[in-house]
Amino acid sequence: MTQIMEDIIENLIDGQTKKVVALVEQAIAEGIAAKDILNKGLLAGMNEVGVLFKEGELFVPEVLVSAKAMNAGMEVIKPLLKEGDIQKSGTVLLATVKGDLHDIGVNLVAMMLEGAGYEVVNIGVDASPEKIVESVKKIQPDLIGMSAMLTTTMASMKDTITALEESGLSDKVKIMVGGSPVSKDYADKIGANYAGDATAAVELANELLGR
Amino acid sequence: MSRRKKQNPFPGGLVGGSYKPLKDGDVEKIHKATMKVFENTGIQVNDERALKAFHDAGAQVDFDQKMVKATEDWIMKTIKTAPESITLYGREDKHNMDLDGFKVYIGTGGTATNVLDIDTGKRRPSTMEDVQKAARLVDALENIHYFVISCFPNELEKENVDVNRFYGALRNTTKHVMGGVYTKEGVRNIAKYAEMIAGSKEALLEKPFVSFITCVMSPLVMDKDYTDLMLTAIETGLPLATPTAPMAGSTSPGTLAGTLVQMNAEALSGVLLTQIVNPGHPVLYSCVPTTSDLRTGAFCFGSIEMGMMNAACAQLSRFYRLPNYTTAGVNEAKIPDIQSGYESMATTMLCALAGSNYIHDAAGLLESGMSISYEQYVVDNDILGMCMRAVKGIEVNDETLATEVINDVGPAGNYLSHEHTVMNMNKEFFYNKVSDRNTRARWEIEGEIDAREKARRMAIEILKTHKPLFIDQHIEQKIIQEIPGMLSEWLD
Ligand code: B12
Repeated sequence: MTQIMEDIIENLIDGQTKKVVALVEQAIAEGIAAKDILNKGLLAGMNEVGVLFKEGELFVPEVLVSAKAMNAGMEVIKPLLKEGDIQKSGTVLLATVKGDLHDIGVNLVAMMLEGAGYEVVNIGVDASPEKIVESVKKIQPDLIGMSAMLTTTMASMKDTITALEESGLSDKVKIMVGGSPVSKDYADKIGANYAGDATAAVELANELLGR
Repeated sequence: MSRRKKQNPFPGGLVGGSYKPLKDGDVEKIHKATMKVFENTGIQVNDERALKAFHDAGAQVDFDQKMVKATEDWIMKTIKTAPESITLYGREDKHNMDLDGFKVYIGTGGTATNVLDIDTGKRRPSTMEDVQKAARLVDALENIHYFVISCFPNELEKENVDVNRFYGALRNTTKHVMGGVYTKEGVRNIAKYAEMIAGSKEALLEKPFVSFITCVMSPLVMDKDYTDLMLTAIETGLPLATPTAPMAGSTSPGTLAGTLVQMNAEALSGVLLTQIVNPGHPVLYSCVPTTSDLRTGAFCFGSIEMGMMNAACAQLSRFYRLPNYTTAGVNEAKIPDIQSGYESMATTMLCALAGSNYIHDAAGLLESGMSISYEQYVVDNDILGMCMRAVKGIEVNDETLATEVINDVGPAGNYLSHEHTVMNMNKEFFYNKVSDRNTRARWEIEGEIDAREKARRMAIEILKTHKPLFIDQHIEQKIIQEIPGMLSEWLD
């Protein structure tokens, strides 16, 4: 690995957005292929971030800042990437279900998924089954994540799954659910997958999408 | 990769003093009352050498009754030579402690005669192996600032206890080692090999990494044997703590103020003797005020009143311009459980907030000091860290007020991914190691273990992996050959 890639990785882990951007620009100037900058620099750095986070070396805010730095680097090389250079890791649609206004947890899940390289579309709180079905048609995600924090709104997860089935969308997307009253048992019962926190959500997404 | 070593943002030596259980006028009242005790009642001194020393220095001594009385003027003049602050050193300089003002350091205590076996969880008599392992564990636990030797090696002959106990401690931690002593020969031999480790007597006395504890008895007695030991310890020139442990309601008055008065007289007696015999001797104003549970007469180390009185000692010691040794964090629980948790936290927190210089007994001890527990050291490491965090207090300045950051993030935003959060996340927050803060689901996956079991696993892991900075091989061999009674086999 060349020195400049090492520097990109190092600065990415340190969350040094400006330095990452400068280094990516320098790498382009040196004639390194955009694809290599992406894979051997930015993505390699984020992988390392993931490992350090799991080991407890890095904290959530650091991971998120590293993710920001990666995105800034991505912006620089995007125009230079050719079709097929980016392995699409997947699109995740997130929502807090109908009647529920809690979004702190699901926002955290969104940020961690983005940090892990997923494209995330968060359609926000109080999302009815109809709204979710519409969004799935439009966005065509690989995975849907639903959040509910109230015992009373959990039922809307089941309603949403039924609505997806009725629209013939249910075998086109994977479904995961979470939120403090939700349990693995409940998820099994409604035909969904469960993750207890944001880190587990990333692991679950990786598993469901075969990464 | 650039793994930044996160340094402890809440180290020993932070300045406390915000909790003041005594109002300003109250400190003076306790002082005046103590002076009355010295003038009217006096203390009993059961050692001829000490009696003569008090007499020659100008106190009123009744040799028949073995009683020493003194005036306020004489007392205040005599303690003047005692240093206002003392530095206790570690074998490594990063562990030096500057006992001054309201600076706070917290550490372990002794001398337990039992241990909860780390494998079986059952109580058994403690041994040299436990002395060494406790020292090694403390060496690795970042919020425990020094090591007061934890337990008694029951398998050794009494005359061999001192040298081996201290060596087992010194060898397994580079933090400052302090301990109680049992024989005069032991005291002298410990000083002797400490000089060998330091390189010379001068080097040892310049940076003493070892110190002694010799007790005063409540009520108002300087015991024959202990005073003899105290005089021997003073001869070594090493720092000394002369604690006294009145029990409110049984060996001292049934009021907190009255107990503080009597304890003050006893604590000052130890300071007085050191200064008469060796003016300028590094001595700590040493306090172990406790209570009795008057429902049964039981001794109480974990009572809330004990915490309050020990906290008050920080104020008293500042009045006399002396560094203090106080007691907290020990409890009456028989196993590491809910009781050990809340009792340890309550008293340690009070002393830490009061700005006590050297809070001892605050890690590893259970059962009123009768037993140590490996798990408890790990749990107390968390408790001590929380206390030091509280000592540091809330920092208020433009950077921490964060108005620009609030403006940046705005309504409905989030601070998790903001630079400001990253900048502050290590210095603003204490991260417990034992506390479980995971979701229930994760807790279930990880085996549904409680704090005691988690701490036990952490202790086992540390003992398996942590290697302290041992003592130089050549010096060690020399010590083993030259010092009588030394064991030859030591834990690898
Ligand atoms: C903050 C909060 C609020 C805030 C919400 C602000 C906001 N923007 O979200 C406000 C004040 C608005 C609020 C309102 C109410 N709340 Co509220 N609230 C909470 C509280 C204290 C914290 C929730 C939180 O943010 N936690 C922190 C995040 C990080 O954790 P999390 O949400 O659990 O998310 C993690 C996991 O669950 C998981 N996860 C979450 N979503 C998803 C999704 C997927 C796909 C996956 C895989 C994982 C996943 O990953 C996350 C990150 O690790 C909880 C108590 C609690 N301890 O949970 C009560 C709580 C959820 N609220 C409760 C109640 C009752 C209400 C109200 C009805 C109160 C009232 N009478 O007005 C209203 C309801 C409003 C509404 N219609 O939704 C109850 C729910 C009881 C129940 N089981 O039904 C709780 C449990 C408090 C309680 N014990 O009574 N609340």
